[in-house]
Amino acid sequence: MEALFQNIINALQWGSFYALIALGYTLVYGVLLLINFAHGDIFMVGAYIAFGVSVFVLGVQGLNLPGWAVLALGVPLTMILTAGVGVTLERIAYRPLRRKGAHRLYVVITALMCGLILENGNLALLGASRKKFPELMEKTVWTLGNVSVTNLKVLVIFAAFAVFGILNFIVTRTRIGMAMRAISYDKFAIPLMGIPVDNIIVFTFVLGSGFAGLAGMLFAMSYPILEPYMGALIGWKAFIAAVVGGIGDIRGAFVGGFLLGFIEILVVAFFPSTLRDLIAFSILLVILWMKPTGLFGVARHQKI
Amino acid sequence: MSERLLEIKDLKVKYGNIEALHGISFHVDRGEIVTLIGANGAGKSTTLMSISRLPPPEAPKVVAGGIFYNGESLLGWTPDKIVSELHLILVPEGRHIFGNLTVEENLKLATYARKDTPQDIERDYQRVYSLFPRLAERRKQQSESLSGGEQQMLAVSRALMAGCTFIMLDEPSMGLAPLLMYDMFRALKELNKEGMTILLIEQNANLALKFADRGYVIDTGEIVAQGTSAELMEDPEVKKAYLGG
Repeated sequence: MEALFQNIINALQWGSFYALIALGYTLVYGVLLLINFAHGDIFMVGAYIAFGVSVFVLGVQGLNLPGWAVLALGVPLTMILTAGVGVTLERIAYRPLRRKGAHRLYVVITALMCGLILENGNLALLGASRKKFPELMEKTVWTLGNVSVTNLKVLVIFAAFAVFGILNFIVTRTRIGMAMRAISYDKFAIPLMGIPVDNIIVFTFVLGSGFAGLAGMLFAMSYPILEPYMGALIGWKAFIAAVVGGIGDIRGAFVGGFLLGFIEILVVAFFPSTLRDLIAFSILLVILWMKPTGLFGVARHQKI
Repeated sequence: MSERLLEIKDLKVKYGNIEALHGISFHVDRGEIVTLIGANGAGKSTTLMSISRLPPPEAPKVVAGGIFYNGESLLGWTPDKIVSELHLILVPEGRHIFGNLTVEENLKLATYARKDTPQDIERDYQRVYSLFPRLAERRKQQSESLSGGEQQMLAVSRALMAGCTFIMLDEPSMGLAPLLMYDMFRALKELNKEGMTILLIEQNANLALKFADRGYVIDTGEIVAQGTSAELMEDPEVKKAYLGG
């Protein structure tokens, strides 16, 4: 019983990372019908930005900020800078193709290339050696019987739920959120409502990349070793989670992320860990067999 | 004294390499209802798309001539600014409502760029719902589930919610049941009495000329006749070609 609770807590934390990254995939897809394959690498860049920001702030002579203050400073800075990276990609890679009316396939390939450029750019810039993320939080462990929770785990889980709440509010209640939903349905009519399409797209990238930056920072705090390819696999997995949840729907990304987290942790609890991905993805495959549009997805009827 | 609001001068546009308008000129004064009539493919929609300044490939490229609004050239303007700053809006053919949003959300989205007070916006909601009570009944419904006529009402209502004072309508009667069509045009007439300027495109020339103050007949990218509605309805050529004898 206690082992089960411990697994649930671990799965919540692990799923939080998938959920945070999957939300970024689904936001961009929901607006542009583009699978932004660079998103996992934006998460990686976010982790490195968090590293840079933290080391810089910790290193400023005479400041001697406590860890929590570095965190409070680092989170918004990391999110803003990572959002800048996402918007830059949109500006220099995706927008020119969109302007020329390129087929979506080419934009997806461009996204893949951008991901590789980010990975290898990082490699060229910082070298192959791994970076050790500094400790920002005094670790507190709460134990109840044999179940233990750290303050960091609570923070990660809280962050995922908070981000979901914020995004859900934006998408369902605000005019800019309505515009985000409306674009994918009928992009043609958006400017006719007095709305500049590019602003909505940039805003979408700001949200998606900003929260990928947050995920990167929290991930680096939880698993404090950074390397340039850290975003590749987790990005793929989060993308699959978003698809299983129903890509384009933020509830889907959120649920899909946690679902994958739970499946992975529970598989490891009962089977050798080498079987983790095999079993996890087989389960997801079965879900897609039964519901190809994903858990929250609806079949998109072709617009005339 | 009439005031010239929209003026098209010797406008030539191209889709790719194909010239779709060969130098047309016409104008719309403030508070008027003007119609462009003509057969399918004559260049009516092309004209409205050019004025809306939507980018190619959807809209054509202007190669010569000018489009003036209140005396200012529209050629440097972006489509969203034309709506949000000049209050000139296109209700496109096929309506283009956002089917995945509710009726209410469609209306709210149209207020995106408005800079006037919440009271003004609230007044426009009331106006829309009193003009089209059907929309009030269906305000929580996904707009995809509306009938064609209701969708057209929604499309016109969005123009109102966007705070526009000049509406360009592309084939609003298309696919509408006669009764709904009658409702629709009555509502438009009412809006016009309150100061809305209307440029209407119709294949149904009879309907259009009954509704409008003046009209232009467009054929293969050129204006071939013009005059008040009464004059056009009496014109033997127009009668023969567009009014069914």
